[in-house]
Amino acid sequence: MKQFVLASLFAGAVAVPAMADYTIIAPANPGGGWDQTARTMQTVMQEEGISKSAQVQNVPGAGGTIGLAQFASQNNGNPDALIVGGYVMVGAILTNNSPVSLKDVTPIARLTGEYEAIVVPAASSIQDIQGLVEALKADPGAVSWAGGSAGGTDHIAVGLIAKAAGVDPTKINYIAYSGGGEALAAILGNQVTAGISSLGEFEAQIQAGTLRLLAVSSPERLEGVDAPTLQEAGLDVTLENWRMVAAAPGLSDEQKAKVTADIEKMAKSENWQKQLADKGWMDTWLAGPEFDAQLEKDISATEAILKDIGLVK
Amino acid sequence: MSGNRHEPQRRRDMAALAIAAGLLVAGAVMLWDSARLADLGGYSGVGPASVPRVVGFALIGLAVWTAIEALRGDFPQRPAQNIPPVLWIVAGLALQLVLLHLTGFSIATGILFAFTARAFGKRNLAMTIPIGIVFAFAVWAVFSQLLMLHLPAGPLEHLVFPRG
Amino acid sequence: MSAFDFLLQGLGTAADPMMLLYALIGVTLGTAVGVLPGIGPALTVALLLPVTYRLDPAGSLIMFAGIYYGGMYGGSTTSILLNTPGESASIITALEGNKMARKGRGGPALATAAIGSFIAGLIATLLLAFLAPWIVKVALVFGPREYFALMVLAFVTVSAAFGDSALRGLTSLFLGLALACVGIDQLTGQARLSFGVPELLDGIEVTTMAVAMFALGEALFIAGQRDQAEDEVTAVKGSVWMSRRDWARSWKPWLRGTVIGFPIGAMPAGGAEIGTFLSYATEKRLTRHPEEFGDGAIEGVAGPEAANNASAAGTLVPLLTLGLPTSATAAIMLAGFQQFGLQPGPLLFATNPTLVWGLIASLLIANAMLLVLNLPLIGLWVKLLTVPKPWLYAGILLFATLGTIGANPSSFELGMLLGFGVLGYVMRLFGYPIAPIVVGLILGPMAEQQLRRALAISQGDWTTLVQSPIAATLLAIAALALIVPLILRARGKGEMLSQLAGEED
Repeated sequence: MKQFVLASLFAGAVAVPAMADYTIIAPANPGGGWDQTARTMQTVMQEEGISKSAQVQNVPGAGGTIGLAQFASQNNGNPDALIVGGYVMVGAILTNNSPVSLKDVTPIARLTGEYEAIVVPAASSIQDIQGLVEALKADPGAVSWAGGSAGGTDHIAVGLIAKAAGVDPTKINYIAYSGGGEALAAILGNQVTAGISSLGEFEAQIQAGTLRLLAVSSPERLEGVDAPTLQEAGLDVTLENWRMVAAAPGLSDEQKAKVTADIEKMAKSENWQKQLADKGWMDTWLAGPEFDAQLEKDISATEAILKDIGLVK
Repeated sequence: MSGNRHEPQRRRDMAALAIAAGLLVAGAVMLWDSARLADLGGYSGVGPASVPRVVGFALIGLAVWTAIEALRGDFPQRPAQNIPPVLWIVAGLALQLVLLHLTGFSIATGILFAFTARAFGKRNLAMTIPIGIVFAFAVWAVFSQLLMLHLPAGPLEHLVFPRG
Repeated sequence: MSAFDFLLQGLGTAADPMMLLYALIGVTLGTAVGVLPGIGPALTVALLLPVTYRLDPAGSLIMFAGIYYGGMYGGSTTSILLNTPGESASIITALEGNKMARKGRGGPALATAAIGSFIAGLIATLLLAFLAPWIVKVALVFGPREYFALMVLAFVTVSAAFGDSALRGLTSLFLGLALACVGIDQLTGQARLSFGVPELLDGIEVTTMAVAMFALGEALFIAGQRDQAEDEVTAVKGSVWMSRRDWARSWKPWLRGTVIGFPIGAMPAGGAEIGTFLSYATEKRLTRHPEEFGDGAIEGVAGPEAANNASAAGTLVPLLTLGLPTSATAAIMLAGFQQFGLQPGPLLFATNPTLVWGLIASLLIANAMLLVLNLPLIGLWVKLLTVPKPWLYAGILLFATLGTIGANPSSFELGMLLGFGVLGYVMRLFGYPIAPIVVGLILGPMAEQQLRRALAISQGDWTTLVQSPIAATLLAIAALALIVPLILRARGKGEMLSQLAGEED
């Protein structure tokens, strides 16, 4: 009996070696969003029969730029290699002066995304986004913001908000934390004035009433979310923290088309949709020339704001 | 604490002086690197350069202290060392590093295995290298095939598991 | 239904033979991967999580719990036997545990680690089950200044516990602090001491450094000893099992380790290694056998191992009650929970009691299964030390590099492993203690970041550090821990010196 169980477990866990297949690079440590995206892709591709035994490899470091550099140099023309990435990578490439950029790989599609949410602890005297902006205008140093790593999406969003409110972005008092968890603890513990992170990180706390949601960074109001957009509040800021998948550089047009078709098949599958629902990720599928244009726009806007904050010279 | 310590032994300790020099260089590098950082202390007043600067000065202070002890001959006796075995292990690690992505995990690690065994007295490399490669290959198979750890594969691994 | 009924129901489900088998498989797989130096519980769980997807929810939950505890525990076996701590939380275990193993007391060392882990896991899991909502409130009071005070306390207690030369202890510590500065400064995004090398931007990986310093440095040092017979390792001396005396000396450290480890694990920025440091320092202070510390004291294994496991359960407090993943392992567990439809957060205990209590019951069963698996294996494990030296050290280096390659197969990482191995060898040669350099690398960045965050929030006002009662108390304890031994030493100097002289004759 035991042997049977073990055998079936291993047979299930270890796919039978048969055909060459996708290797997905997650340019981050296990546990983060990119790693989870890569592992979810692995599961769905296998279950949908797109790839018989996709593998995930973690190449952590420096906001994904180490993984990106290694991926670009080792896989030229390899149609089986994929890398997961996202908006954070755009900023990291700029702040780290990375020699390899997204131009050195073949972006395939944007898969998922999250909007930023601005919250205050329930005990805070600040009631709405206008109140926060007024406090910020009065004394930017007195408003401490807890969020993710320096130069990351959260930091960029605070810089954009300050700029839109007419406050000098170099004057923001941004407190960087390594993971979403630590920042959330600081907000819940009333250590800081306000917090900023992707909406999903805060959702459970907002429902429980321990955090007050002031605004979200989406272009339009989100379904089921009781908060104005930043634009409604008179701040011209929209920001999406998206995740994407890219293929190796030097692919032929046919190869690129095949990879795109495989990814599209995965992203349109019921399995993928169910995974997104389970994890609370938004489907923000975008591919082809539209995605390329969006990418271009994001890169130039990010470069501008990072210069304003003083993180990029 | 040891018996030798009580004898008046005021010889200059050159190796300890070299350590002092090393600490001095490390401290200087810290200070040099922190000097070129932009001071983004912001509201805290403690910027990215502050801590490296403190550590740099501390290392320089420790270098001076080490130099004084070295000149007074206060450093403890070192155990007598036999250098060739140490070099065998270092060579094994260096070869593994160089060969890992060329020959795959098993061959590179098998050589490390054999060199280490040599350092501890098994001198017959013609015997230990094959043993090492077979053992490393078995380990590779278990961890990469059963437990899905990503370990570099080379010709040998591809021969047995065509997909690697 | 009350909480207790839910727990009983959960235990009832988990007591099914098939479920026990899943728990056993989970624990075995977790231990097998977790035992590799350099592969911590986070990577272990990430690698093995897909295996659990193939079972029904109850089965996968229990197997998952088994993998988690197996991965946590796996590191201590190799730390004790081979002096190759696989993750930062088992570095302290290696200090005393390996000394015991070399004297033929590997059996009792492994046993006290296994039983201590079990007891700590049991108590901590029950605390988690019944007190989580209250504990988390206390944990949230800790802000940057309180964490900074906690780090200062950890620094003081730990560095006071290392080595006989202030110069060499401090040098080792400051080398660690210097290495800790390497990489992107987290608060401003500036690259420090990376000299344009991209691989250095993320700083120096603690596990790489620990494996290099302990395993490689030790192997090089022993290989270089002219008379290799001098350093003979005794595999087994006396019983493999713990003696009455071992039990008598272990049970208090187990309980104290649990008391220290659990709350620190529950703190969002606590970290498992801090609990092990504080536990080690506490045991060293309280022991009746201070002369054995540094030479294989069983309390120095029992306490930190219990603290390590208790903090693993403590990590689940913010995870389950707030949905806060406070470590890489917790982040992967969160992904695992979502797979089972469990959405951690403040409402979890209210909305989904069956699954939560099922998880807690699974943790209890997995914890017990770990003991069942590991106690009988101890006899087998200690036989490892009877392997002839050439093969033993060849195997140690094979597994040490396997762990590093598995976690990050880059030549640069292997180069660092080699470089730090040589540094560890040179440090041993000149009588520098190894632990402070690793402690400096771990605690340095935490202390620096928390200090700078505290000062940023107060806009540069240093008095903020003592304005919170908790921070002020912790700093006062740290000051006492630093000053009292100095006074005692000054007063009792003559007495101590004569005692030392007496021992050396």
